[in-house]
Amino acid sequence: MLETIKTLVVDDDERFASNMVKLLRTQDIDASVAPNGAVALEILAREAIDVVLLDMKMPAPSGVETMRRIRDLGSTAQVIFLTGHASVDEALAGLNLGAFDYVLKPASTEMIVGKIKLAYAKKQKLSRKETEKGDPA
Amino acid sequence: MDTPVDTPKIRVLAVDDETDFLELFVKRFSKRNLDVSCADNGLAALEFLQDHTVDVVVLDVRMPKMDGLEALKEIKKRHPLLEVIMLTGHGSVESGIQGMSHGAYDYVMKPFKIDDLLFKIHKAYERKVLNETRAK
Amino acid sequence: MLGFGLSTRYGQAVHLVLVPGLAVSACLTLVGESVASAAVTALGLGAAVFMSSLLLCRKIDAASEEKCQLDEQLIQSQKLAAMGELSSGIAHEINTPLAIISQESEWLRYLLKSLTTAPIDPDKAKEFAESLDQISLQVERCREITHGMLNFARKRDAVLQDTDINQLLEDMVLWVEKEVQRNNCAIHRAYDPKLPLVATDSPLLRQVVLNLLNNAAQAVERDGEITVATTRTGSNAVSIEVRDNGCGIPKENLDKIFNPFFTTKAPGKGTGLGLSISLSIVARLGGALTASSQPGEFTSFVLSLPIRRSAT
Repeated sequence: MLETIKTLVVDDDERFASNMVKLLRTQDIDASVAPNGAVALEILAREAIDVVLLDMKMPAPSGVETMRRIRDLGSTAQVIFLTGHASVDEALAGLNLGAFDYVLKPASTEMIVGKIKLAYAKKQKLSRKETEKGDPA
Repeated sequence: MDTPVDTPKIRVLAVDDETDFLELFVKRFSKRNLDVSCADNGLAALEFLQDHTVDVVVLDVRMPKMDGLEALKEIKKRHPLLEVIMLTGHGSVESGIQGMSHGAYDYVMKPFKIDDLLFKIHKAYERKVLNETRAK
Repeated sequence: MLGFGLSTRYGQAVHLVLVPGLAVSACLTLVGESVASAAVTALGLGAAVFMSSLLLCRKIDAASEEKCQLDEQLIQSQKLAAMGELSSGIAHEINTPLAIISQESEWLRYLLKSLTTAPIDPDKAKEFAESLDQISLQVERCREITHGMLNFARKRDAVLQDTDINQLLEDMVLWVEKEVQRNNCAIHRAYDPKLPLVATDSPLLRQVVLNLLNNAAQAVERDGEITVATTRTGSNAVSIEVRDNGCGIPKENLDKIFNPFFTTKAPGKGTGLGLSISLSIVARLGGALTASSQPGEFTSFVLSLPIRRSAT
């Protein structure tokens, strides 16, 4: 039985974010919205989120700054950057902070779902490794 | 092409869905003093690159699931200093222009002469080293 | 011979201005005539004077042409820099509404699926679906444009490596040759065998060469001829020429072809970014790219490059 992947869409563009949620749900992916980085971090602190779709261009905290805080939080959620912006430096910064991938808008939902599933698979793999480490030898 | 024994071997990753080709590639180019690894699809290549340092990737243009151009984009996204040489059977020139604009170092037609590709691998490696020194 | 050098370089009109104050202060204007006939006339006026004047004129003309070229290049690169900023900004802004339009059409398609259970005019439903397809198609077109613009704006410094230009060209020519041979077109090579290694960014140069060859191939269509030539043009310069005998470029378009998005192709076929990107790359390589054409006869692109870049 497939578990439903839980995603969090972080974007200050309300229409884009709500469309994303609707479309992800048609693909059986559970999704909710955070209008900015601060709210996203609150949600990540109290809910089990598998994948975060993070817009890069947001008012403070920025996408990259939010990524940094997600990492500092110790969250196991995989982050995929969604951006209308192609600055190689910013994208690399995001990847170096541990983001799973970045996608340039506009991108089809099919493509995004593909990456969400890959990110989720990575998350599963990492958490299995963690539990193996925890087991007594 | 002669390389002095004490210089580090150039690390190459060959990516092609034809396993016969890969076997031959590894054999031939290992003999030419390169450290060769291989992957039979784009995703496997990306995973390999996450855990291993590679200098030059030799990438087939036409592969199922993730094609060469997509793999090139994903590789350059994560490893912008890594040089990629595309291998093409009968790729269109337009696709070549696209590949180059996405950062491919060069295109090589199949079938190729071993020495030709070897020379290009050395040149690609040279560029990687120049870029790395500049980045420091 | 010096004179011939001048006449072929300046095309139709060659102005020989003898330095005033000399015994002969005549101004000879040759239009389309060979310099040989001018030389015969001038010999009667003092061969030594003629030769040194020619040399002097040639130097003055060369210097002023070089200055013109440099000025033009400066303007071009400033234009390019400004355009780069502008297009990058526009591309960012457009991508967001494009993303939403794309999502709306996906959602409409999804709704349509559930709507077809109720009695519905099948023709109308078909049209509805077609309109949706159009939206997706047009978004895809815009996406190609914006992503192309973002690619264009991305600054990549040239990494210089000693390059065998003839070999680089031949590699690209062999590739294009395979395609054009199907249309009965031929590619002739005229490589200078003594061309020195050039310190340049080979992948960037390959992009430009492929672009020029591709344009030439499209210009000749069927039964055409393309010529690729290399020459050393100075102590620190080489030039590459790609020439085709296709339909040519009308005079009024000749100074527009390097503008981003200028294209004479049908709408939807090619974005017209190729030459503007090539120009921007050539500027980054410290070189120059010029075009000349005679409609109905030929088009020629000349790419010149420094052999060694001076430290900037």
